[in-house]
Amino acid sequence: MSSATPRMYPGASPDERTTFDAYSAFDVPADLRELSGRYDVESTARRVRNFRYAQEWMMMIGGGWMATIPELPVKTGLGKIVWDDAQSADEFGQRLPELRCGKRSVTASEAANDGFAALIQEVSAPESPDLTIEKVTGMFDVLKPHLLAVYDRMQRETDQIADAPTIEILDDVMRRTRKHIVWGDEVLERLCVTDEKRERRRRRLLSVRELLENCGGVTGEIADESHGSAERGEH
Amino acid sequence: MKRFIQHDELARDCRFIRQQNVLTTILASLPDDVDAVVEALDPLSPLIEESVRETAAQPLFDRFGPAFALLVLNEPIRAGADGVAERLKLRMHGIFVGELQALEGAGRSLWDFPEAPWEFKMNMARQCWDEARHVQIYEKLMTHVGVEAGDYPESTFLFECACSDDPAMRVAGVNRGLEGLACDVFRDLIRYAEDTGDEKMKQAVDYVLADEITHVRFGSEWVKEFTRGDPEHFERTQEFRREVDKQFSFGGSRSDREDAAVRIAWEDRLEAGFSEQELKELAEISVGGPSQHTMVTAAKILQQRFDARKAGEADEGRA
Ligand SMILES: [Fe+2]
Ligand SMILES: [Fe+2]
Repeated sequence: MSSATPRMYPGASPDERTTFDAYSAFDVPADLRELSGRYDVESTARRVRNFRYAQEWMMMIGGGWMATIPELPVKTGLGKIVWDDAQSADEFGQRLPELRCGKRSVTASEAANDGFAALIQEVSAPESPDLTIEKVTGMFDVLKPHLLAVYDRMQRETDQIADAPTIEILDDVMRRTRKHIVWGDEVLERLCVTDEKRERRRRRLLSVRELLENCGGVTGEIADESHGSAERGEH
Repeated sequence: MKRFIQHDELARDCRFIRQQNVLTTILASLPDDVDAVVEALDPLSPLIEESVRETAAQPLFDRFGPAFALLVLNEPIRAGADGVAERLKLRMHGIFVGELQALEGAGRSLWDFPEAPWEFKMNMARQCWDEARHVQIYEKLMTHVGVEAGDYPESTFLFECACSDDPAMRVAGVNRGLEGLACDVFRDLIRYAEDTGDEKMKQAVDYVLADEITHVRFGSEWVKEFTRGDPEHFERTQEFRREVDKQFSFGGSRSDREDAAVRIAWEDRLEAGFSEQELKELAEISVGGPSQHTMVTAAKILQQRFDARKAGEADEGRA
């Protein structure tokens, strides 16, 4: 390169000076995000494993239920939700090796505690064809709104720059979860057309929610999780 | 929720009418012999009559007697052929309930095998969405040809035959046996839609067929994976698939025979991971069963017997 050509970057010797004035060429808005978040790498990894556990089980439960639910639009609606939940579990899994969990960790799911594992089994318990209200209420009135609230808080409180990949994943998962909650509510509104059926929904909601609160939710830290954030979708 | 449900536990709303699978099982195992067909079907007449009561198939039973299934269901769907509208409705309804059972089969594969590899679960979850869309597509196509859910009885034969408790056999039965049959039936339906200039049907079914080829591919890959390093398990799984293929050939109705109602979709199946050898086997397995001539002859005899019984009942009634 001829020495007459102005260099656009700092050279190796003291007499070489760049003519490029940093940022002058662009009107870039200031980055208002701040470093530091509520979770370190280890606790984010643990939470992602907890989230993956919930998403993977919701996928499997939905798969099992399709054969036991007589209402055709609920059957077919669940087909899409099962695929959505699978993608959410998969995205969480892809994040784990990036959080120093090892190459094989992409399929690592972990319940926060035995209570949450028991809660998942309780959500999956309704089986007979006349229990669609109990099935849909447990998953769509309680579990998914709880997850949405936890994801939302995590997304706001994790390190906005350093943990941005988790934030991106949560974006996708929350978009799907919001749609699922609306769908579940529509289904239940259609199904619960008598006082007796509305009462079934209410009873199921209260009993599953009680289990959820007792075990501390998906991360085992529900008291902490719901502090300052609206538990959206809960009635 | 328990694991491994039976076919009669599949939940349906009140529009649906369940047909006993024994009828399909017998239809699938008939030999090419007029007397044998007559003797197999004649005693089933009351059962068949019961299964079609108050469905759109009842007028067919009243007209053709117990052989109506042979005459209507096992015949090819050809543009302009006699009775093709009725046959198309029955075929559409059969496909629709088949898609429902495929959806349920894929969903149960997620629930029944919680320890299966993650990639398997992803494939089955994707299949759930695809089959759910297929159910929705065939609901629309049923309306398109003038039939609604529950107009005909449903046999859960497909789920019963294909849903093994062993994961390798489950994917062999559902993803290769059942989904392979779907490839054959949909290629045939696309041909009919082309012949009749039905662009709506042609395009929709073409998309469905593309999905089904993917599902067969899942099966081809997972059979290998689940039986890796265990040739004996692989052979048992292949044997199970051959049995399913035999049953799903419905006595040669789905075969490479000239008079088959549905031909084997070789090109689509090759793309989906079936080997030439497997397809030759399928052609051999499916060829047995009554010829069209046998069926028509048997149907006539059955109809005569049915008419004679009806006349006898009428005489008794008058006496
Ligand atoms: Fe399908
Ligand atoms: Fe399929």
